[in-house]
Amino acid sequence: MQSPCGIQIQMKNTISIPNEVLGEKVAARAKELFCEQLQNIITHTDKIFARLMIFQWLFGIFLSIWVSPRTWSGTQSQIHLHVWAAIFLGGAVTILPVLLAHFQPGKAMTRHVIAVGQMLMSALLIHLTGGRIETHFHVFGSLAILAFYRDWKVMISATAVVYVDHLVRGIFWPQSVYGVVSASIWRSFEHAGWVVFEVFFLLLSIRKSHSEMHLVAERQAKLEFVNEEIEQIVAQRTSDLRRETADRQQAEERLRQSQKMEAMGRLAGGVAHDFNNLLTVIGGYCSLSMPSLPPDSTLQRNIGEIHKAAERARALTGQLLAFSRKQVLQPRVLDLKDVVNGMEKMLRRLIGEDVELSTSFEPSIGNVKADPGQIEQVIMNLAVNARDAMPRGGKLTISTSNTVIDQKSQFRNRTLEVGQYVVIAVSDNGIGMTDEVKSHLFEPFFTTKGLGKGTGLGLATCYGIVCQSGGDIRVYSELNSGTTFKIYLPRTDAKLDQTDTTRMGRLPRGRESILLVEDESAVRALAALILREQGYAVKEACNAFEALALVRKTPFDLVLTDVIMPGMSGKALCDQIKDQLPKTKVLLMSGYTDDALAHHGVLDEGLWFLEKPFSPAQLTRKVREILDVPVEKYNGSATVALMAS
Amino acid sequence: MVGVGFGVVLKYQITGGTTGQTPGLWPAKTSVSLDAKRDTLILFAHPRCPCTRATFEELNRILAQCQGRVAAQVWFFKPSGLSGWSDSSLRWDAAGIPGVTVKDDIDGQQAGLFGAETSGFVLLYNPEGKLLFKGGITGSRGHAGDNAGESSIVSLLSGKPALFVQTPVYGCSLTGECKAPAESKSK
Repeated sequence: MQSPCGIQIQMKNTISIPNEVLGEKVAARAKELFCEQLQNIITHTDKIFARLMIFQWLFGIFLSIWVSPRTWSGTQSQIHLHVWAAIFLGGAVTILPVLLAHFQPGKAMTRHVIAVGQMLMSALLIHLTGGRIETHFHVFGSLAILAFYRDWKVMISATAVVYVDHLVRGIFWPQSVYGVVSASIWRSFEHAGWVVFEVFFLLLSIRKSHSEMHLVAERQAKLEFVNEEIEQIVAQRTSDLRRETADRQQAEERLRQSQKMEAMGRLAGGVAHDFNNLLTVIGGYCSLSMPSLPPDSTLQRNIGEIHKAAERARALTGQLLAFSRKQVLQPRVLDLKDVVNGMEKMLRRLIGEDVELSTSFEPSIGNVKADPGQIEQVIMNLAVNARDAMPRGGKLTISTSNTVIDQKSQFRNRTLEVGQYVVIAVSDNGIGMTDEVKSHLFEPFFTTKGLGKGTGLGLATCYGIVCQSGGDIRVYSELNSGTTFKIYLPRTDAKLDQTDTTRMGRLPRGRESILLVEDESAVRALAALILREQGYAVKEACNAFEALALVRKTPFDLVLTDVIMPGMSGKALCDQIKDQLPKTKVLLMSGYTDDALAHHGVLDEGLWFLEKPFSPAQLTRKVREILDVPVEKYNGSATVALMAS
Repeated sequence: MVGVGFGVVLKYQITGGTTGQTPGLWPAKTSVSLDAKRDTLILFAHPRCPCTRATFEELNRILAQCQGRVAAQVWFFKPSGLSGWSDSSLRWDAAGIPGVTVKDDIDGQQAGLFGAETSGFVLLYNPEGKLLFKGGITGSRGHAGDNAGESSIVSLLSGKPALFVQTPVYGCSLTGECKAPAESKSK
């Protein structure tokens, strides 16, 4: 077959790779390598001949000057014709091959011209040496060197020159080659035969050489493919390793964050439990005391201040639980547009006159399922931050829109799953944030505000609430241009839950029997006082065991119990009551439940819950609400009542 | 161009030199001695002719084949009055051939008697002074190897008939102007 490099070659099908496609690739690559190698050899041989022919030319000149410098006629002489022949004829024979070898190495034309030139040079040298038999070895030597090309066509060209030279001489001047005056033309075959004899073995050598080159090329091709395969495996393994390392680092980061949050949560929960009990008592007694004092009295104002402080403390405790995601969410189906609209008045007061508030709502905004109070808390925190980012005034824009996440997206180690979301965007044109600030933005106690101006819990709280609601919060900020927070909450097709609007007015009263279970005596005393004042028959128990004993003796319309208690928890008490007295309603109350009532912060179905600290109004309304639930609906639709609360 | 070059060289190679009138019988006025028992071979040579070296090689081969059957003499052209003219490597080559007598041919007088005008001109006379062969013993200019002249002489010396009694002779001219060349004068 004809190779791409123009050399006649024989391809041996010795590839033994099982995969046919791979085998073909190896064969193709082997062929490529073979041609490449052959071409290198040819180019190299061209260079060898370029040097050799120049040397031969100079040698011919030297030889002619040495052997026959001058020709004589008597005592007169002139330069011998051989000297001129060596210079000019030798030059003519040499120049073209040398130029081709220099400017067009590797071309077929070049090596054929070299072959012809080399054989002509042999003829010239033989002539210059007076036809010495020894000089005829130049022909055989030249043929051997021409075999370096490993191209049988070149050998044929050279042989043809030798044969034609002998044939022409044999015909026109037989004595110059055969030593006789007349000779048969067949004698030219005799002379050429010796050349052919050598060329035959050189051709065998060329063929053998091709075969070996094929083997080497095939081995190299196989080696290359094996190397390539190994490199791919190494690259794949390296990539896997990097990904695994990155995954591990992310997992470690998540674990660290989780451990941090867990630690913070435990701390917050521990503080919140005791603190909320205290705040319940403080706030409760303030609420009870204030109505009985003259409106303008100093004591009224003082108690009012105590009450405000208690409320702030309550908010702070709430934030601690929120960012550590330990609060109990009571989600319901919401329209975020209604939530924002409901907050607008309050927000305008909050941000001040220098900041313009603008709202924008997509018309067919979807519903979300979230705790409305917590979402309000998020919007409020973001609005406060926006206000602080615009000390000289600016524009605060709150907008809601629908969006679809069509591929998983990750931010701060949180992955937002594919699906439909409702987005609340809170934007300002304030001072913006640096990348450094952005990287720590949602960490608890990180603040850029001055001492006493920020707790560093606002955004951490927002983040905790949104994450606990199954969403994500993302921030886009440019220094000196502004900031946008986008809150993604999963969209739901569920219908809006109705809001109980009968909350205002006097505290609801009743005459039902209530068992109050609370280990903290101050809280117990306060709750009992509030309920008794509203007409309820209250019995007190300081732990769950005592409560169980009382319940077994006397039926109660409602059991109001704390959750975290020594010995037996409120939840365990609730379960036992439900088992033994299924018609007895149970209301749980707590400032921190430690997941006793909730999974992932969302209250378990079938439970009623009152969050501490509570006000007298909150307590009495919650109690009344539950007592008003028909007994036949109890256990079945309790959750619905709870959700509406 | 290469073809033309080789053509010129080939033509030069195969173009013989001139020959004069060679006597069929041994000339009486010659100082060359005729061997009474063997054939006499006379070779006229130019001491500086490069082509004549091949003639000596052939002479050597003839004498090697016909040892003792011929008396060989080489007469080198020597212009009178030129010292060192004959002191050439060719003279030493000729002297080194066994059975060859080397002599100087002053101003080519002997060559003129035998009609020798070109270096390498060989004559073969029998003991009776009859001319058996005349011409060159190389196939072409300066080329050693089998040739008609050599084989003819060998045949004659072997008592066989010769294919050729006359062959072309290749070499420098012996009959040029006899004046001292520039390099000879300086010596």
